[in-house]
Amino acid sequence: MEKIKAVIIEDEELGRELIKNYIKTLDTIEIVKECENGFEGAKAINELKPSLIFLDIQMPKLNGFEMLELIDDSEKPEIIFTTAYNQFAIQAFELNAIDYLLKPFSKERFTDAVNKAVQRINGSAPKIATQSVSKLISQPITDKLERVVVKSTNKIAVIPVDKIRYLEAQDDYVMIYSSEGKHLKQATMKYFEENLDENDFLRVHRSYIIRIDQVNQLEPYGKDSYVAKLKDGTAIKISKSGFKTLKEKLNF
Amino acid sequence: MLNPILKTRSFTITYALSWLVIALLSTVLSIFVYHQKSLLVSVTDSLIFNALYATIGIGIWYPVYYTDLEKNKITNFITNHLASSSLAVGLWMWLGYLVLSVLFKENVEYLRWLHKTIPWRVGIGFMFYVLLISNYYLMIYYQNFKDKVLRESELKALVKESELSSLKSQINPHFLFNSLNSISSLTLISPERAQEMVINLSDFLRYSLSNKKETLTSFENELKNIDRYLKIEKIRFGKRLNVEQKIDPGSGKLSLPALILQPVIENAVKYGVYESTGQSNILIESNVYENLLEVKVGNEYDRDFLVKKGAGIGLKNVMSRLRIQYNRDDLVKIFKTDNTFEISLRFPQELATNP
Repeated sequence: MEKIKAVIIEDEELGRELIKNYIKTLDTIEIVKECENGFEGAKAINELKPSLIFLDIQMPKLNGFEMLELIDDSEKPEIIFTTAYNQFAIQAFELNAIDYLLKPFSKERFTDAVNKAVQRINGSAPKIATQSVSKLISQPITDKLERVVVKSTNKIAVIPVDKIRYLEAQDDYVMIYSSEGKHLKQATMKYFEENLDENDFLRVHRSYIIRIDQVNQLEPYGKDSYVAKLKDGTAIKISKSGFKTLKEKLNF
Repeated sequence: MLNPILKTRSFTITYALSWLVIALLSTVLSIFVYHQKSLLVSVTDSLIFNALYATIGIGIWYPVYYTDLEKNKITNFITNHLASSSLAVGLWMWLGYLVLSVLFKENVEYLRWLHKTIPWRVGIGFMFYVLLISNYYLMIYYQNFKDKVLRESELKALVKESELSSLKSQINPHFLFNSLNSISSLTLISPERAQEMVINLSDFLRYSLSNKKETLTSFENELKNIDRYLKIEKIRFGKRLNVEQKIDPGSGKLSLPALILQPVIENAVKYGVYESTGQSNILIESNVYENLLEVKVGNEYDRDFLVKKGAGIGLKNVMSRLRIQYNRDDLVKIFKTDNTFEISLRFPQELATNP
C-alpha cells in the first residue's frame, strides 16, 4: 500500500525530531514536509495536499487553529494535535481531529493515534467517530477571538480584533472593516457573533456586527429603524432589537 | 458623616415612633404625677417638648461623632459631653418655654405649673441626653464591628488569592511540559544533551521550590537561576532565542527578593520568542547606583501579533511584590515602543537589609 503523506507543523525543532523519530519505524506514513510555523504549514498543505498533519497549537504569529481557518474544507487533511496545553481539547475535537496528544507523549500513544488516522484515511473508520466526544462534553469554547486570519489570493492577513470597526454580511462571506482596510473572509455572521467578545462587539442588524466603542452617535432613520454613526463617519443600519441592546450597552 | 438615624428609613421611623411613645408617657406622667388637670394642656405641653427634643436629638449625633470613645481621654470625653448636654438641654428648655408661654399666655395656672416643673424637666432632659448618646455610641460600635468583619473577610480572600497565584506563578506548567517533551526527544537523538537539560531543569525547579518569595537573595544567585531557565528555553527554541547580558561586576553581591526576576524574564521570552518566527533578542542589564541595584530586561515584540490573554499579570505581581517589600511604588518603570519593551526594576539596598 502507498504510504500516507504527512506534514509536521511544530515550532520547536526537538518536537519535530521526536515525531520523525517515532515515525521512522512505521511503514504506513511518511513525512513529506516539516513546517516551523502556521504560515509555512498553510502553504505546505495547499501545495502538497497531505492526508495527515501533526499540528502544534501554540506557535508564533499564527496558531494551529488559526492556520486551519486558512484551509478550505475540501482540502483539510486529517489532524493529530500535539500540544502541551490541555485546554484546547474540546475545540480540537469539534474540528473532528483524530487525536489530541499531550506533550510529552509516548511512542505507544503516538502509534495509536497514527493507526487511527490510517484507518480513517483508508476509509475503514467512520469519519464522525470522534465527534461524539465533543458532543459528550457540552462545555462551550469560552476563549474569545483575539485575531482574525484572512486568506486572499496571494497573502495572509492577520487582523487583531482591536482594529476591527465593523463586519458586514455578504452572502457566504463576511467583510471585515478594520483600521487597515477591508478583508473578505469565508465565514458566517453567527460565527463572529459567537466568537467575538460580546463586551466589545454587538450584532446590531442581520447584516452588521459593530465594535461598540466605535459608535459615535445614534440617529433615527425612517419609521422603525435607526442608524449608528461610527467614528470614521460610516453609517450602519440598526434593527429595532439591535437598537435596544445597543442603547443598554452604551448606557443611554 | 450623616446621622445614621436619617440614613436609613427604618431607623427614622423607629426614632419618630419612640418619641411618640415618650410623648404619650410624659402626658400620662404630667396628669397623674404632676397633677395637670387639663388633658389638652397636658397633651400640647408634652407634644411640643418632646418634638423639640426629638429634633435636637438628631443634632446630638455630631458631638458623639466628633468625640470618639476610643481616641479621647475620659476627662476630655466628659467635658465635651457636659458642654454639649448643657447646650442641648438649655436650648430645649428655652425653646419649649418660649413656645408654651406664648401659646398659653392667658393660662396663669399653667404657667405657674410650668415654672414648678422646670427642675424635673431639666433632669429628664439630661437623662434623654445620656440615653441618646448611648444609643449613638452603640450604633457606631456596631457599624465599626460590621466594617471590621467585612474588611477581614476581604483581606482573607486577598491573601488566599495571592498565595494561590504565587503558587501558580512559581512554575509555568506549559514551560514544564514543553521542556519535558524536548527532553523526551533528546533522549532519542542526543542522550548527553538530554541529561544536561534534565540537570538544568532540576536545578531550576529546586531553586523555584525552595525559595520563599519574601526572602532576599543575591543578584548573583538570581542570575544563575535565570541562566538555567534561559539555557532550557535555548534548547527548545535554538537560534530563535538570543540573549545578551550587560552585567555590572559590582552588582553580584547586591540583594533583591528571590524569584523576582523569573516572571520578568518569562514575560520577555513569551512576548519575544513565543510570538516570533525569526530571531528574538533579549537584553539583561544590571547597574549599580548609590544604595540601589537596577536590573533592566528588554525584548522585541510584534505589536500586530500581540496576544492579550493574561498579558501583564506576571508583571503586575512583580510590581505589587516590590511595593509590599520596600513600601515604595516608584521602583518599576516600563519603556515601550512599537516593537520594543523594556522594564527597569530598582532594588533599594539599605532598606533591603532591614525589611
